[in-house]
Amino acid sequence: MFPRPIQQAPRASRIAYQVALPVALLLWLLPLLGVAMTSVRPASDLAQGNYFGMPSYLAFENYADVFRNSPIAHYILNSFKVTIPTVIGCLVLSCMTGFALAIYKFRSNLLVFFLFVAGNFVPFQILMVPVRDLTLSLGLYNSTLGLALFHIAFQTGFCTLFMRNFIKALPFELIEAARVEGVSEVRIFWFIVLPLMRPAIAALSVLIFTFIWNDYFWATVLTTSAETQPVTAGLNSLNGQWVAAWHLVSAGSIIAALPPVVMFFAMQKHFIAGLTLGAVK
Amino acid sequence: MQQLLLASATIVVGVFGCVGYFFASNLILDSIFPARGPNAGRNILRAGAVRPWLFLFPAIALLTVYLVYPVFVSILLSFKDGTGDNFVGLDNYTWLLSDDKFRESVVNNLLWLVVVPAASTFFGLIAAALTDRIKWGNFAKSMIFMPMAISFIGASVIWKFIYDYRGEGQSEIGLLNALVEMFGGTAQIWLTIPFWNNFLLMVVLIWIQTGFAMVILSAALRGIPEETIEAAILDGASPFQIFLKIKVPQIWGTIAVVWTTITITVLKVFDIVYAMTNGQWGTQVLGSMMYDWMFRANDTGRGSAIALVIMLMVTPIMIWNIRTTRREMR
Repeated sequence: MFPRPIQQAPRASRIAYQVALPVALLLWLLPLLGVAMTSVRPASDLAQGNYFGMPSYLAFENYADVFRNSPIAHYILNSFKVTIPTVIGCLVLSCMTGFALAIYKFRSNLLVFFLFVAGNFVPFQILMVPVRDLTLSLGLYNSTLGLALFHIAFQTGFCTLFMRNFIKALPFELIEAARVEGVSEVRIFWFIVLPLMRPAIAALSVLIFTFIWNDYFWATVLTTSAETQPVTAGLNSLNGQWVAAWHLVSAGSIIAALPPVVMFFAMQKHFIAGLTLGAVK
Repeated sequence: MQQLLLASATIVVGVFGCVGYFFASNLILDSIFPARGPNAGRNILRAGAVRPWLFLFPAIALLTVYLVYPVFVSILLSFKDGTGDNFVGLDNYTWLLSDDKFRESVVNNLLWLVVVPAASTFFGLIAAALTDRIKWGNFAKSMIFMPMAISFIGASVIWKFIYDYRGEGQSEIGLLNALVEMFGGTAQIWLTIPFWNNFLLMVVLIWIQTGFAMVILSAALRGIPEETIEAAILDGASPFQIFLKIKVPQIWGTIAVVWTTITITVLKVFDIVYAMTNGQWGTQVLGSMMYDWMFRANDTGRGSAIALVIMLMVTPIMIWNIRTTRREMR
């Protein structure tokens, strides 16, 4: 049986393996565990210097306090208002471009494809000032719509690459057969290719959701006020306000990280499939 | 509530706009060049030449407005003064060369470029190899991978808590200092220790990126043909030899991909430095230095010049990537 299962390895190395691995894992997660622990530690514990012992009780009121004392609910709403349109927009656009680049052979096909690949690599810093000015002149500065619109443009390169490679791997005979039967191109796209793209769509939407939710740079460049800022930018300004209140900072960080983490655990398979497909191809 | 309605209305309008555009444009094309009648053959060819552009048009338009045009504007801005009104030639670049902070950033960036991809790939490879053979491997993998779902800024806030320093005589709340004191050491102001504080910042990115490297590499490891490993075992190779001489050479391609992907992330790094030290105490990197000049000094000329330097550093990787993609397509 290959590779040899761990049960057949020598006893000493087996024990070392079984002890070392959980310890390493625990160390890896220590930052998260520390923050989770602090987030439910009552303020009175912190005042008495009980930083690392057991909390005297589980203070879930810290979470309530975060919601009460800060506009975090609004920040989260803003994050959704940026993220969801971006995911939808990217998917719609990249399904179309991916289809065109994978199915049709035309002269500048490669050129367009490389435009999208290159778009993938452009460092966002170089876009900052022109995009800010552009958004200002469009009247979309400091609005979730302006932020979402830019995200759609910026992510389309990656999504197109992803979709094109996925469609390219589909059996081309399907499309040829449909063409021979006289099915119009629109219907081929809509009824044959699109249903087959479901796994790619799932994977891509999870990926884009996390990317956009976690974006901080553009959030600070294109939005300025608590009414429009997403939760990443909000978290950083709250962090500045609550210098000494670690229990609130911790609870706030956990609240901000919850949607992508939940998304990740719920759709782990798609997430990993997406990363693998996006990176290896 | 009203906002929410407005937002969903925009989504609906946007999606219907796109889908409507897609159907309408294709229908119009089909009616201009109908695939029947005396010229059916020629019409099909002509429609075929136009159709891909119908699919591509919205994305290309968006990309031109938000990506291509800004790159050229930035290049232009880097040759202008702080307000973007007057041309100053290469002044911004000569200033860069003489600026201490810039030199510090370049050195730090190179340090990041060497350490972070190497460490992430290394840890990712080890994690992938170790978790592949145990029962709770999948659980371990999700745990290692979890930091990837957290934003850089969130991770920075979490790690700030680890490195926190309270001052002499006070009990430490920072996890690292508490551990050091538990073992009898003295608490340090970690983030101000010259040179080494760079590594403390890198740890955050390594912590995030290892999960990514692990996922990709573990998929590659599973794709290795069993026969090669079988043959090695029959020849009496030890597990170490199998790993280093049989498995790793077969996944070099994937390792290179992981390495370059992380390299690009590193080149653009900004959030972590910005949130944790704001470039003080010798930790500045190009990404956050550029942000500083743009936002705090409001100097678009110098800021753009720094951005262009980042672009130049990314370009070789971009070209390499396009070339490999092209070779694969042949």
